[in-house]
Amino acid sequence: MDLPRVKPRNHAAPRVSQLPRAAARPAPTDMSPAAKISSSRCLASRPRSRWTIAAPFVCSLLSAADLLSADISPDQRTFFENKIRPVLVRECYECHAEGAKKVGGKLKLDTHSDMMTGGESGPAMQPGKPASSLIIQALQYDGVEMPPKKRLPDHVVQDFITWVKMGAPDPREDRPKGNSPDATFQKKSDLWSLRPIGDPQPERSTARPDWARDPIDHFVLAKIEAAKLSPEPDAEPKALLRRMSYDLTGLPISASQAEQFEGEYRTEGQQAVARWADRLLSTPQFGERWGRYWLDVARYAESNGDDGLGRNPNFPHAWRYRDYVIDAFNRDMPYDRFIREQIAGDLLPADSAAETDRHLVATGFLALAAKPAVAMNNNFAADVVADQIGLIGSGILGISVGCARCHDHKHDPISLRDYTALAGIFKSTETLWGAAGMEPLSAPPTPLHELQKASLTSVPPESELAQPAAPFKKRPNKGKFNYPPGAPLAMGARDARDISDSRVLIGGDSAKLGELVPRGFLSLFPSRSLDATQCPPQSGRMELADWLVEEARPLTVRVIVNRIWLHLFGDGLVRTPDDFGVFGDSPEHGELLDHLATRFLKEGWSIKKLIRSIVLTRTYQLASSQSEAAQKADPENRLLTHHSRRRLDAESLRDTMLVLSGQINLEHPHGSLLQHQNVLVNEMGNLHRPNDYRSVYQLMLRSAMPPELTAFNLPDALTVKGKRETSTLPTQTLYLLNNSFVLSQASHFAERLLAEATDEPTLVRSAYRIAFARNPSPNELTKALEFVTEAEAKLATANPGPATPRHRAWAAFCQSLLASNELRYLD
Amino acid sequence: MNPISRREMLRTASCGFGYLALAGLASAASPAPSPDLKPRAPKIPARAKRVIFLCMSGGPAQMDTFHYRPQVMDKPHPGSIVNFAQHGQSGLWVSELLPNLARHADKLCVLNAMYSDTSNHAQSFLQLHTGDRLRPCPSMGSWVSYGLGTENQNLPGFVCLNPWMPTVYSSACLPSLFEGTPIGVNGEDMTKATIRDIEGDHLPLDLKRSQFSLIQSMNREYSNIHSDDARLEGVIQTMELGFRMQTAAPDLLDLKGESQATLDRYGVGKRFDTGRSKPSDFGRQCLLARRFAEAGVRFIELDHRDWDQHENHLRDLRANCASIDAPIAALLDDLQQSGLLEDTLVVWGGEFGRPGMTPGQKESAGSGHNNRAFTFWIAGGGVKGGYTHGVTNHTGTDGLEGKVHFHDLHATLLHLLGLDHERLSVVQGGRDIRLTSSQGGKVVHEIIA
Repeated sequence: MDLPRVKPRNHAAPRVSQLPRAAARPAPTDMSPAAKISSSRCLASRPRSRWTIAAPFVCSLLSAADLLSADISPDQRTFFENKIRPVLVRECYECHAEGAKKVGGKLKLDTHSDMMTGGESGPAMQPGKPASSLIIQALQYDGVEMPPKKRLPDHVVQDFITWVKMGAPDPREDRPKGNSPDATFQKKSDLWSLRPIGDPQPERSTARPDWARDPIDHFVLAKIEAAKLSPEPDAEPKALLRRMSYDLTGLPISASQAEQFEGEYRTEGQQAVARWADRLLSTPQFGERWGRYWLDVARYAESNGDDGLGRNPNFPHAWRYRDYVIDAFNRDMPYDRFIREQIAGDLLPADSAAETDRHLVATGFLALAAKPAVAMNNNFAADVVADQIGLIGSGILGISVGCARCHDHKHDPISLRDYTALAGIFKSTETLWGAAGMEPLSAPPTPLHELQKASLTSVPPESELAQPAAPFKKRPNKGKFNYPPGAPLAMGARDARDISDSRVLIGGDSAKLGELVPRGFLSLFPSRSLDATQCPPQSGRMELADWLVEEARPLTVRVIVNRIWLHLFGDGLVRTPDDFGVFGDSPEHGELLDHLATRFLKEGWSIKKLIRSIVLTRTYQLASSQSEAAQKADPENRLLTHHSRRRLDAESLRDTMLVLSGQINLEHPHGSLLQHQNVLVNEMGNLHRPNDYRSVYQLMLRSAMPPELTAFNLPDALTVKGKRETSTLPTQTLYLLNNSFVLSQASHFAERLLAEATDEPTLVRSAYRIAFARNPSPNELTKALEFVTEAEAKLATANPGPATPRHRAWAAFCQSLLASNELRYLD
Repeated sequence: MNPISRREMLRTASCGFGYLALAGLASAASPAPSPDLKPRAPKIPARAKRVIFLCMSGGPAQMDTFHYRPQVMDKPHPGSIVNFAQHGQSGLWVSELLPNLARHADKLCVLNAMYSDTSNHAQSFLQLHTGDRLRPCPSMGSWVSYGLGTENQNLPGFVCLNPWMPTVYSSACLPSLFEGTPIGVNGEDMTKATIRDIEGDHLPLDLKRSQFSLIQSMNREYSNIHSDDARLEGVIQTMELGFRMQTAAPDLLDLKGESQATLDRYGVGKRFDTGRSKPSDFGRQCLLARRFAEAGVRFIELDHRDWDQHENHLRDLRANCASIDAPIAALLDDLQQSGLLEDTLVVWGGEFGRPGMTPGQKESAGSGHNNRAFTFWIAGGGVKGGYTHGVTNHTGTDGLEGKVHFHDLHATLLHLLGLDHERLSVVQGGRDIRLTSSQGGKVVHEIIA
């Protein structure tokens, strides 16, 4: 079969399958290494051919019923519905089902997983093996006799044999679990992410004894070799430096840096790498890069977003939290401390007024929610709490807790009681978001944290304030909470006056109250008691923070080290960074993840140290090329045979353009464009003003993100975002070709060139060195010169702008460099 | 079995600007659709050429729109709580909330026993779009444009108006050329929905062409060096499309040429704002959908996001119905008049439906989710009009006969478009990826005219 070897994005060749369905499935002997490894974790009783399809994606915890309802074919469904279910219902359920007066032999037959769990005599069946299945033996009156009154007709028994032979495909869903924490998740110990963090020792390769530089490399190499693959060679020094520079600071390298590093790398090897890594880690740009990742998790934004009634109040003080995060990463605040400050900063002791300020700002984490309007919304307070619980669940624990607001979580081990216990803590917390655009129908105004040592914000004259797009009813500030203009304020949280437990909200509705649940934590991990003797009583946020970094450590630590890995490799070891639950990914490299977690703890929860360790591994420094064998066997690069090629994110791309054009302002701007006003963003027209600060400092308004960034998958800041999408859209081309920001940077880039040299070939060389840190090939030089000549001639006659045809021609050339894949992709 | 080398392919592909010379590469022995946007003949006789999918996010209440479940027992039971009447020659039941759509009763093929695997929004929404409820897979529109290409080389094969989330338009493991192009942002004012940066007059057109040619030659050089990464080739193709869109899209998005009468019929600019029902200018979406269909776009998805009536069921449902009724009716009128309806599939439905309300519940009461039985309708291209398929129990909560799973719906739509769902697949990591997933689906032959 002749096929064009064009491969889609995920490295797999598209083709129309010419094979009948059954044959198209990989036979067990063809299992990919990934599938092989996964299948050992899976239920042994499943037919293998199915496994190979589902295995790489399905977490080990799925019950057989989950799998079956997912995999069942329409024919199998029909068979079950017509031949099996009616018989079970009519003949068996009276004694063997949930709700039976007395469940016979503790055996239930009304869900697939109950059949698999079985009763006193063991599992009711072994899918695929009728002869050794208890239910078949019983129907055949072989040792056991069921149903007891009368043997069923032979054809019925035969149907059951056929069904078990098929693998017992079963569309029945598991029944919802009861409310008690124990019944909620009987098999919670099975969820890999909840197990205590181990300290596994890697196997050492005998074939490549000198390959590994770090235990991390041993873990990686062992899996690569077990799959009979080979790692790619090391990346070229320039590619490595560029990778490090973007990964650690989000900024490009210059040609002279590349040359300097190449020289040092040749003579000093890893010492040079370590020195450069340390240098990059110590720049303030490190915190701007890594802080932004955390801001994605924290759903950071400077406005509420549409409240459901079309109003979008801004958060004029949110930027203080942004600066706090950047600063925390720059000073390498231990992650446990970082969590404590964000959740309970207001309750922490402090040595100075400045430290108190910092602690208060940190609690902004809890206050940045996109809230639905309070008007006609009885559940407003519960909505705010739900956001906070969801944030801690997905952002810190990697478990989605939000579903349990209304009912026990269907898949993950979170009960309605668990949720309510947490809700009590946040109900006892006062969330401070401020004036909400002076629109009490959107959110009732709250006070803010008043800072003591922080600098005042400068208030520009009225004429420089952003003006509404159209006249609107002026809302005077008649609120209870008036602060002098420019007062240093912060969003955040503090304990409420009323400290009390929460009641279960039936169906998530504040109007329907169920039982009172003592404040507490998720029953996934041992609880810790709240100190009842506190006077005045506290919300429990302090204990929650302690619990997150102590009892819940298996999740908390695995989640953060996975996030760190993700940002250095493009994908986490767990591919679903915000979901370590049943429906999340289970890691190919579970041992490596635990090794990272153990190291992270040993190094005092230091994020910088872990990043440094990873950057110095051979694994991180591999080339991004990919062998055909690896492409075939491991298209998703779960085995890490090479470093994945990545596209720059929106911020890095914009910052890069500013660096190339010479316009970037690396200073840390004070505050934010809207810091001095309380407005409704939806009434204001375009609030973004062109500026040359780094992208992390742009005005991040929900539903109105900066147009210079939105083309390349900026998150919407509504929920926790551990990993951004990287879609490739034709609209991105339009941005690169027509956006005024790009055009303006291209023009500055050209100015910069023309100021330095006059002769054409030198200009091209200089442009290539600035953009790609390399010289153009002779062919590239020729093409560039041809284009500039053509452009200059055409622009001489075309509509004259303020710039000279020569400048415009070079700007058009520079723009083509800015729009190129070489600039946008990272090897 | 000699796959054409990538280098060989590129040599051919780069022979001329603006032309993706991939089509001719599939050798005679291989009927594989080559991954470009050129229109391809369907593999089996086709009844339709394009799809307009009216996606009703949230789970529309079928029993108060298209599936009539009156009270039949002594005691009140869940069912329809609004009046229904029979319409057209066929006598199809349509709710009083949709008076304009009722005029088209004879065009609608109503599937009343749809079902899906889960009643969670996210997973079921994903399954509706991709067939799979767990992991990112190509969206319906991506599959269709992958299978058939598209008729207008200056527009994407797949556009998404007002999309809710990238799931809706993701091409996942298919080349990025088949990713849907989003127009407008869900929840934002549709009147501003345009394709950002679609126009720029900073350079004369012929110079823009030369500049783009230079960019692409650099990109080709770059992907030659990294020949193991097929994504880079995908990016080149997507960039080609982006460039060509500049010539066609601005006119299409501009409604200035439409008469006031037309704008009124579609209710362009009408904003309904009641409870969960948010102003979305659905009329503009429907009019744009017609224009994109006329321009030869293969798959057009519209999104109306407000169908999750957990409270104030009736009030919000009324508003939702008012916001879609005239626009969809106008769309069907125009497609009928231009003859496009003959080979266009108009599909209406959401990720699941809702259990019926019981008469006598208080005004503010709402309804939950039901994935065991809900309603879709299809009009146009080869389906029976004025036809009802599928039977449910008296409360409408479970399908009894004519049950149609999302996989079956997908198989049927592909079949009508001339694509065999079992053959339209890609292999990834040794797995066959299809819209109908590993579970397969069955073409619902009963609904085909």
